[in-house]
Amino acid sequence: MTLAPDDDLAAAEFALGTLDPGERATLAARRLREPELDVAIRAWEARLSPLGEATPPIAPPDDFLPAIEARIRGGVAPRASDLVAALQKRLSRWRAAAIGASGIAAALAIGIAAREAARPAAPNEFVAILQKSADSPAFVASINLAKGDLSVRPVAAPPQAGKSYELWLIAPKLGAPRSLGVIDAASVTRGPRLAAFDRETVEDATYAVTVEPEGGSPNGKPSGPPLFVGKLVPVDP
Amino acid sequence: MESAAAGDDLVALIGRVAARDATAFATLYRSTHAVLYGVVARILTRGDASGEALQEAYVRIWEKAGEFDPAKGSPLAWMATIARNRALDEARRVRPASLEEMPEGFEPAAETVEPLAARARSERLAALLACLGNLDPDKREAVLLAYYRGFSRDALAERFGAPTATIKTWLRRSLLQLRDCLES
Repeated sequence: MTLAPDDDLAAAEFALGTLDPGERATLAARRLREPELDVAIRAWEARLSPLGEATPPIAPPDDFLPAIEARIRGGVAPRASDLVAALQKRLSRWRAAAIGASGIAAALAIGIAAREAARPAAPNEFVAILQKSADSPAFVASINLAKGDLSVRPVAAPPQAGKSYELWLIAPKLGAPRSLGVIDAASVTRGPRLAAFDRETVEDATYAVTVEPEGGSPNGKPSGPPLFVGKLVPVDP
Repeated sequence: MESAAAGDDLVALIGRVAARDATAFATLYRSTHAVLYGVVARILTRGDASGEALQEAYVRIWEKAGEFDPAKGSPLAWMATIARNRALDEARRVRPASLEEMPEGFEPAAETVEPLAARARSERLAALLACLGNLDPDKREAVLLAYYRGFSRDALAERFGAPTATIKTWLRRSLLQLRDCLES
């Protein structure tokens, strides 16, 4: 294993849970594209996990099984396309989020489902839900690989006074993150920005959003850790 | 509360869950939900957040059942890790736990190795407890508070009256010491 000692210690603290929120989000994004780091985190989790089985039980206040089964049924609906199934699964997880955000997400899912029904399969369409955690979606990125275009729709991105959100494409073979430009927190941002990347890179990349000075990063590099991250899922399997 | 099924039964149940057996999933839930709720409720101080984390954990267990490898750990340890990660993601997203927010009945001082030692333990747990026993008492308590209560570095600094940087050093040295001990 070629992991730097500092990264191994960060992996250890990730498993223990003591990284601060920014460090934790950064490492969570990095492990998606750094297999050695992911292996290290899993190894530390495995070392500490026997403590988990020794946890003294507490009876939950409610029977959560029916709610869990409902979420699972939502996630494995047999006739839905992969995307709709994925969105249904996510929608059921978003219930803890603000009502407004859920409403927008539901409208989005219905919009995509209607679009699906209205046209034949197009294998070039992908979406990525950019989020901090499963119940806090912030942006949805839609990508058409045939045309090389990208549109980014805000779901529940908090406005940042005097700052801009910037979208990045992260792929191991490119080294540093590549900017895909500033994205709007209030309306859909569109643009053909993917022409510079080959299909495989676009499909496998991690997409991340950072907060930058107004107008975007001054030096072409992210100024801080990603706030929201996501990977593409195909609209049509 | 039903008692937890024995480890071998849980391995078989998870195998059936991986094959999308809903009945096995219900049995798995009934056998393990109190332990997993124990994991999340100690980290998250709000009951609704604990219930949400528990539900998300079981959805993930359903999704990831096919990835469970009994050679790498016990089924309950694997499930508890999934539940704990959900709780930690939530705790770190909202705000770190602090002493003031500890739920009633959760005394930090009670978090020592001793109550665990009395429980039925796996071989891996026994090895880990033995290694924890080699740590200085303060450092052992810090690791256990972080593990079971989701204490952040800041919350540990407050509890031990030490700078946050010192806590970070404690935790990292302790974790390395644990690894060396487990591998020796």
